[in-house]
Amino acid sequence: MPSNETRDSDAILRCERLDRTFVSRDAGENRVLQDINFEMRKGEFVVLIGPSGCGKSTLLNIIAGFDRQTAGLALIDGRPIAGPGPDKAMVFQDYALLPWLNARENIEIGLKMQRMPAAQRTETALRFLELVGLAEAAERPVYKLSGGMQQRVSIARALALEPKVLLMDEPFGALDAFQRAIMHKELVRIWRATQATIIFVTHSLEEAVFLGERVVAMTPRAVGLTGELRIDMPRPRDPLSPEFAAVKRRLFEMITSHLTEEVAVFAE
Amino acid sequence: MSMKSADAALRATAPARAAAPVRTLARPSLLASLAPALLGLVVPGAFLVLWWGVVAAGVFPPSVLPSPFTVAAAAFDWAFGDPQNGGYSGTLAQAIWASGQRVLLGYAIAMALGVAIGVPTGASRLMGHLVDPFIHLLRPIPVTAWVPLSLVFFGFGFKGAVFLVALGSFFPIVVNTIEGVRGANRSLVKVGRMLGARGWRLLWYFILPASLPSVFVGLRLGMGISWVLIIVAEMMSVKSGIGYTLLDAYSFGRFDVVIAAMIVLGVMGFLSDRVIVAVQSVALRWHREVSIHAEQ
Repeated sequence: MPSNETRDSDAILRCERLDRTFVSRDAGENRVLQDINFEMRKGEFVVLIGPSGCGKSTLLNIIAGFDRQTAGLALIDGRPIAGPGPDKAMVFQDYALLPWLNARENIEIGLKMQRMPAAQRTETALRFLELVGLAEAAERPVYKLSGGMQQRVSIARALALEPKVLLMDEPFGALDAFQRAIMHKELVRIWRATQATIIFVTHSLEEAVFLGERVVAMTPRAVGLTGELRIDMPRPRDPLSPEFAAVKRRLFEMITSHLTEEVAVFAE
Repeated sequence: MSMKSADAALRATAPARAAAPVRTLARPSLLASLAPALLGLVVPGAFLVLWWGVVAAGVFPPSVLPSPFTVAAAAFDWAFGDPQNGGYSGTLAQAIWASGQRVLLGYAIAMALGVAIGVPTGASRLMGHLVDPFIHLLRPIPVTAWVPLSLVFFGFGFKGAVFLVALGSFFPIVVNTIEGVRGANRSLVKVGRMLGARGWRLLWYFILPASLPSVFVGLRLGMGISWVLIIVAEMMSVKSGIGYTLLDAYSFGRFDVVIAAMIVLGVMGFLSDRVIVAVQSVALRWHREVSIHAEQ
C-alpha cells in the first residue's frame, strides 16, 4: 500500500532497478546493489538501515552523485542524477567542515559557490545557525567546537543550500550516547521546522525507530530492498517505552530473518 | 544578619567544595620561562670557548683561523666601519641588500611558479601524467650543474643569480605542492563538489587551503636552498653580495671576514626561515589546532 501511495507525481526521488557492481582484481565482481526500487515524496523522513556491507552507503553515494550506478535509473525531481551538487546536500559522519573557516563562514562558503551576494549570505548563514541552535558560536573556529556542535554546523551548511534531499550518512556515529540523544531530538525539530526531505543512513535500530517516518531495510547480497516499515508512533517518541521496543523488535527481526545464516549467527 | 545565616547555610550545604583545594595555574617564573633560551646558548658558548682555545693553543696559524674576537672585530668593521677606510669597512648592508634582493626575487618567482604548476599537477590526473615525469627528471640535476647554461643565457650578474635561486627553490616548492594537493583531505574535496564548486573555484577555495601545510614545507625547504644558491651564484658569476665578499676575502687571505660572512649567512638563513614560520603560524593556525586536537 505505501509503495503505491508514493508512486504518484510528488515523488522527489526515484530509483528504478538500480544496480551497482564493483569490480576489483582480487575480489572479482561484487554486486553491492541489485534491483533497487525506491521512492520518496517531498518532506519525507526515511531511514536506510542495514548491517555493514548492505550497500546503504553506496545507495546514498549514488543519490548524492558521488558514485554512479552500473545499471538502472536514479532520478531527482524527474531528472537523472549527474554528479554531486547542492540540490543533494550531504551531512558527513566526520562533519567535513573546513577547518580554516569559522562556523558562519563554513555555511557561507556553500552559498558563495551558489553565487549568492555577500550580505544575503551572511544573513542566511546566521539564520541557519540560529535554526540549529548555534547563533552564539557563529564566529568561533570550528575546531574549537564539540563534535555535536560541529555536526550542527554541518547540518546548517547542508540546509542553507535548500536541497531537494538532505542526505545524512551515519551523522551521529562519532558522538557519545548523550549527545546523540540530544541530536536526535534536534534533528526531528529541525526537520519539522524546515520540512526538509531527509534520507538518514544508520545501522542503529534505536536511531531508525526514533527518527524515521519510514524505515527501509537493506541486507548484504540481497536482491532489492529487504523490507520497509512505516512508523506511525506519535512524536516525541520515547525510546524506553514498550511500543518503541516492539517496533525495534519488528525491525530487528525483519533484518535478521533476511540475513544469510553466517551473518545471522554473528547478529545473535 | 540574614546575609550571615545565608552564608552559613551555603557553607553547610557545600562543605566538599569549600574543602577542595583551590587549583590555580602557577605563573612560571621569569627564570623558568627564560631557561629554554638560556639552555640554547650553552652549546654555542662552549663552541666559542673551544674555538678560542684552539686558536690560543696555536693549533692553526692565526691568519687561517682567527680568534672569535678578531672575527667579531672584522664583522663590526664590516657592518659599521667608515667606507672611506676602503676594504670591507661599512659594506655589509650593501652586501646583504645585494644578496637579499636576488634571493627575494628568485624565491618569489619559484613560489609563484611552484604553486601555479604544483596545484593543477596535483589536482588533475592528466596534468600529473604530463608534468610529473619531467619534474622528477630535472630535479636530480644539481642546480650547480646549471651554472654554465645560466651564464650563457643570463650572463654574469643579477639575472643569472636570480635564475639559479629560482630554479633551486622551485623544486621543493613544486614537489611539496603536488603532494599537498594529492593528499588534500578527500572528504573536504567531496564537500567542495557537493557545494557546487567546480574547476578553479574547487581548487582555490577547497583544495589549495587544504594543501597549504604541505606547501609550507616546500616553502621552508626552498628558502634554505635559496641561500645556498645565492652564494654559489655570487661566487661564480656576480661581483657583489655576501657570497662575493666571502670569496673575495678568501682570495686576500682575510679569514676573519670569511668567517664573519659565514656567520652573516647563517643569521640571514635563520631569519628568513623565522619569517616563513611566522607567516605559517598565522596562515595555518587551524592546522596547528587540528593537529593538537588529533594528538589528544
